Amino acid sequence: MFAISIMNGLVMGVIYALAALGVSLVVGIMNVVNFAHGELYILAGYFSYLFASALGVNFVLAMVIAVGLVFILGLLIEYLLIRPTYGNDMYSLILTFILSIVLQNAYLLIFGPYPNKPPMWVSGATDVFDLFLYGNQRLAALAAGAAVIAVIFVIIKRTWFGRIIRATSQDREMAELNGVNTTRLNMLSFGLGCALAAAAGVILSPVFPVTPTAGVPVALTAFVVVVLGGMGSLWGCVVGGLVLGLVENLGAAFISTGYKNVFGFIILILVLLIRPSGLFGRTKI
Amino acid sequence: MTGKKLTVIAAIILAGMCVLPLGLGIYPQHVLIVSLFYVMMASSWNLLAGYTGQVSFGHAAMAGIGAYTSGILAVKAGIDPWIGVCAGTAIAALLGLGLGALCLKMGGIYLSLTTLAFSQILHIVIVNEYDVTRGTMGLQVPGLMAEYSKITYYYIMLAAAVLMLTILYRMIHSNLGLNFRAVQNDEAAAKSVGVKVLQVRILAFTVASAMAGFAGGLYGHYLLLITPEIPSLDLQFNVLAMTVIGGMGSFIGPIIGAFALNILAEKIRDYGEYHVLVFGLVALVVARFAPNGLLGLWRRFRTPTAHPLVK
Repeated sequence: MFAISIMNGLVMGVIYALAALGVSLVVGIMNVVNFAHGELYILAGYFSYLFASALGVNFVLAMVIAVGLVFILGLLIEYLLIRPTYGNDMYSLILTFILSIVLQNAYLLIFGPYPNKPPMWVSGATDVFDLFLYGNQRLAALAAGAAVIAVIFVIIKRTWFGRIIRATSQDREMAELNGVNTTRLNMLSFGLGCALAAAAGVILSPVFPVTPTAGVPVALTAFVVVVLGGMGSLWGCVVGGLVLGLVENLGAAFISTGYKNVFGFIILILVLLIRPSGLFGRTKI
Repeated sequence: MTGKKLTVIAAIILAGMCVLPLGLGIYPQHVLIVSLFYVMMASSWNLLAGYTGQVSFGHAAMAGIGAYTSGILAVKAGIDPWIGVCAGTAIAALLGLGLGALCLKMGGIYLSLTTLAFSQILHIVIVNEYDVTRGTMGLQVPGLMAEYSKITYYYIMLAAAVLMLTILYRMIHSNLGLNFRAVQNDEAAAKSVGVKVLQVRILAFTVASAMAGFAGGLYGHYLLLITPEIPSLDLQFNVLAMTVIGGMGSFIGPIIGAFALNILAEKIRDYGEYHVLVFGLVALVVARFAPNGLLGLWRRFRTPTAHPLVK
């Protein structure tokens, strides 16, 4: 029981970290929280279901197309909705909140309330350390999630593009003075944030089928992870995601399943009370 | 508009509202009662979001606190619903004070996330504590009077809404209202001229929460069945959409928005359950292209060459 909770916690933690990375990237650069993050996660799940199950495209290709489409949608959302609100955090909050409700209801209309599920990548289960049998699909999700996170880290810590992102999130005006086109960077990073939500969506949807409102807990968890780890901190997302995944699954196993999601929110409120800048955050908020 | 003229117009509208339901059937009366509930919710949320710039996502949760407090007191302890509604209002005010204080040091995003977390925790607790709240089945509660009468409920809700709007109007048009606006526009500047920013924010949060609790308590005893639908994100969205579409930061905006959207919802319902989607799309377009809502559009249309300093 304990070992399997740890395992579940790790798998969920990696996915939480992935979803939170997208939120954190956008917060760090644009100071915008995208409330529709969870709905984009769900959209990617629907896309990969649509291409792989309904149209018979190879599942890897279907996942790539899904993430690509959500990336383009992210660029559009930034251009149409977020860009006019620069400097007014309140309106971007309101707009993305409305957008999330619109998307939920659109999914309900198009796909119905039933869970949809893209095909599994692998079948069967593996014996983990002689302790328990664990589904291969979940192990694959763990590996894929960790791989995407690693790629993001390399991009941000090692490439020119990453240097621009880090510079802009540290000091926007200074980055502009050094020739960074921050408007285009905003658009690109918002799209990238959405694509990260989509990556989490295509990885996790074969395990947890998508429904129109299934994105809400995902987005909320991502927000909790971002606050826990510290707004704009990448390591914070990874550590925060793993902590939250473990706490939720151990809490569900040993305290109460119904209250699984409450643990995250209690952590959120505690962090805000004790250390509002989070584990790895800048001291100023 | 002068004060006298305004009083006359308000009196005419009020008289109209008193006569309005008399010629209507049960169902239109129900729609009006629900509209009045939303007028109270949207106007009090507007105090937070529109006047002090705190976008709270926990306003529906406060209505839920009011409704469940009063409902549970009535069902478990046999306490009179009127006393229950007062208790619900008080508890919502206390929680608002606590939440407001918790969010003290944080700006926009943190406040929104914390209130969202609060409303989700409340929702989960209500669904899980079946023995006390009857979970998703809903809690059956007694009505406000011995004999059920739609028209009496209408007048109760109307009286409550008028009371609340009067308090809000007085607040907004006092020195306190100026403080609210100052905090919203520029916190640092407000502080520098001696506005007690933190107190002003907490006060707005407490008052708005108490109002939501009051509205929720009355609404629960009108519906006779309190479900987790009251403290839900859907209801929160309705309140937000009504305020944004009507005109955030104006006194009349949320009132117009609440009536317009609620009646629109009934019209759309003839074609199916699309009203939330339609609200969302309309709200998205309005928030994007007319941040001051329908009221702002109308004002811009009426005074095309207004002085740029006149909002």
